[in-house]
Amino acid sequence: MYSIKENQTTWKSDVAKNITFIVTKDCQLACKYCYLVGKNEKERMSWEVAKAAIDYILDNEQDFKEASVVWDFIGGEPFLEIELIDKICDYIKLEMYRRNHHWFDSYRFSFSTNGINYHTDKVQDFIKKNREHLSIGITIDGTEKKHDLNRIWKGDGQEQGSYKDVVKNIPLWLEQFPNGGTKVTISSADIPYIKESVLHLFDLNIHEVNINCVFEDVWNEGDDVLFEEQLMQLADAIINNDLYKENVCSFFTEQMGKPMDCVLENGNWCGAGRMLSIDAAGNFYPCTRFAQYSLRDKKAWIVGNIHEGIDKNKLRPFLTLDRCTQSTQECIDCEVASGCAWCQGENYDAAETPTVYQRATAICKMHKARVRANNYYWNKLFRKLELEGKREEFEQNKKSVTPEIC
Amino acid sequence: MKKLVGQVTEAERDEIQRLFERRNGLNELARILTADNAELYEKLVKDLGETGTKFQNWWDTMATKYNWESTLNGNWEINFDSCEIYLVDNTIN
Amino acid sequence: MLQYLIIHLDDTSVSYCHYDNSKKEQNLISLDDLKAGILYAMKENLMIQMVYPDYQLPKEYEATIETIDHVKIKPISQSINANVVVIDSWSDLESLNADKEIAYVLRTDKASFFEWYSRLLPILEEVSRLNVVIKDIETFTDDDFAKYKTILGEIASKVKDCYENNHAVQLNLLTDRMMLDKMNNCNAGWESVTLAPDSRFYVCPAFYLADKYEDFGLGKAKYSIGDLKNGLDIKNPQLYRLDHAPLCRKCDAYQCRRCVWLNRKTTYEINTPSHEQCVVALIERNASRDLLASIRTLGTFLPDKEIKEIDYLDPFVVKEEY
Repeated sequence: MYSIKENQTTWKSDVAKNITFIVTKDCQLACKYCYLVGKNEKERMSWEVAKAAIDYILDNEQDFKEASVVWDFIGGEPFLEIELIDKICDYIKLEMYRRNHHWFDSYRFSFSTNGINYHTDKVQDFIKKNREHLSIGITIDGTEKKHDLNRIWKGDGQEQGSYKDVVKNIPLWLEQFPNGGTKVTISSADIPYIKESVLHLFDLNIHEVNINCVFEDVWNEGDDVLFEEQLMQLADAIINNDLYKENVCSFFTEQMGKPMDCVLENGNWCGAGRMLSIDAAGNFYPCTRFAQYSLRDKKAWIVGNIHEGIDKNKLRPFLTLDRCTQSTQECIDCEVASGCAWCQGENYDAAETPTVYQRATAICKMHKARVRANNYYWNKLFRKLELEGKREEFEQNKKSVTPEIC
Repeated sequence: MKKLVGQVTEAERDEIQRLFERRNGLNELARILTADNAELYEKLVKDLGETGTKFQNWWDTMATKYNWESTLNGNWEINFDSCEIYLVDNTIN
Repeated sequence: MLQYLIIHLDDTSVSYCHYDNSKKEQNLISLDDLKAGILYAMKENLMIQMVYPDYQLPKEYEATIETIDHVKIKPISQSINANVVVIDSWSDLESLNADKEIAYVLRTDKASFFEWYSRLLPILEEVSRLNVVIKDIETFTDDDFAKYKTILGEIASKVKDCYENNHAVQLNLLTDRMMLDKMNNCNAGWESVTLAPDSRFYVCPAFYLADKYEDFGLGKAKYSIGDLKNGLDIKNPQLYRLDHAPLCRKCDAYQCRRCVWLNRKTTYEINTPSHEQCVVALIERNASRDLLASIRTLGTFLPDKEIKEIDYLDPFVVKEEY
């Protein structure tokens, strides 16, 4: 008389090694905010490169001691290479088992997809075959208007949005992954659509919306004010309509906006260096954001390749990086520091010298606006719950946002 | 209906979670492994049996150790995040 | 805080550190730039180190140099009036007619050091100070670390003999750590900068001497940090400071050179040493600890100094405790 209900939001992401295959640098879309500046149709990973990477990683088990692994596939659009991915995953499973590798007992295959090919037979066959080990996120940015503002089809003709091509696959995806969450990226032009977009995603039965502002320096004067207004309107809508019971939006996080201690709270935000990315040429990177196609102004940060292995010296800066050493004094002294994120790749790309030790601060005013709205959200919500006598119940049952690995 | 009936330790949770993951891994491996690969195929068949036994043993041992409440048409569930054990009653009223 | 100005007088000026100078063509700093450099140092209150080439400088240069207090770093062929003499070959070391007023620098590769280290032993009796610079630290393997440890033990025994004979020789690899209470590293870019013959400032001579096409992986190895006309312009200057070097700031291998050039070359980051640089420094530190204990068997010696026993050779493995 037993059964198992796997009820986990995070699946060991804190202890898992993240290994990313950049299987293609091609994508059907040409999203305006995409940080991949070097997308192209030529750089597709070959089976030989993928196999050599897997062999290197599994051969060197002593260097990959994490208890679990997430084999991640990105692009471009990863499902453009579903046949290769299928072959890679089969090989990984067989080899982990044949070698008695400790990861056989704890692995996932993870995908971030634009969702366009999700319904195709090849993708669906792959999902059925690997159902228990899959994590798939479809990116949909919100309402049709908001989505199509940025997520447009590639091509020279008239701009064509991709919303309709993605939204048709959402029901199938949610049927297969009922806890599926989506990532939403906010740039300057998207700010007016935040509230309606998040609510729209909830309406689509996507109950977890991971949303963040881009880290790049794209913000205009007054964006923070508009942003704060949008978040407060969203807060009102979520609270007044009791949407907080079933849904979470990562903009509202209880523990954020507090000062931080340089000794006790000095960890790095980003997981770069603890992850490993492999591209079509067989080069290794500390994270995908350090591959050349992700970088505007800097050279790729290569930490090895499938032939020579990983140069551990090239990972040392990442693995010793702490919050305060890379932060400006203003960030160190900031009264609302907690929850302020950074991307190591963007830090590197925006830095004055080729270093990961200079934190980009373009997001500063947006974070401060978010903190104000966040404070408003929790004060309002808690007061409502207290008046209704439901605070304790809420605390016991509240949903949390899946932390992003990066 | 779902009712909280107990809790296991983190170490006990880790053990059943590892077996759960392994069983899933073996089942999905079985879909791609054919008898042509004799050595691995034999290993897999043996492993599936052993893992299933260990899995059953875990529940039997824990049920005895903690004396969880049970019902005729119910089953237990474990929440891997919280280590909590729930009794789920499948009786249709 | 900036304290030193190194003036690299000529493209062929001698290397006194890890980097090699492969330049063969003379290119002397202009007299005006030399004067401007000296003036800059005077105004900024910097101590000057003149790095000489392997030929006699014109008289007007020597005269200009003598207008300011300075340290002369010279190749062995030009050792007259030098404060620091650089020796690039073991044969030159063997034939050295040592002067106790001069500090000597022996630059060697790892293989030669392993083969000929015993030639150092008699020299230790003759010199006041000898700095041994192993040029290819980045090539050390686990076997090399073990060999290095053994060799330092043997050299330490000779140093102890010197102390027993009342000759307190200074050998950077072994005695510096005994004397130090805090980090005493190269600190290029923080406490010192280099003025090169092209009238530009560099972090150290290595950053000037790098080939203009040389690239360790993230871009040009050669970059300047200002010029005489506009002054210093160091980007991310904090990264040259000890407090911005996570691995180093709590390490107690105080004698470590903490070479930013090697850091840049091996880890890409100027504030992050390679595994090899760390382990070599900690082997030296541990050998200094043993030497300190050994000298103390002769009598009271540096009673207020203590070097703790540690169970690691790379601070990277204990970074979580930092």
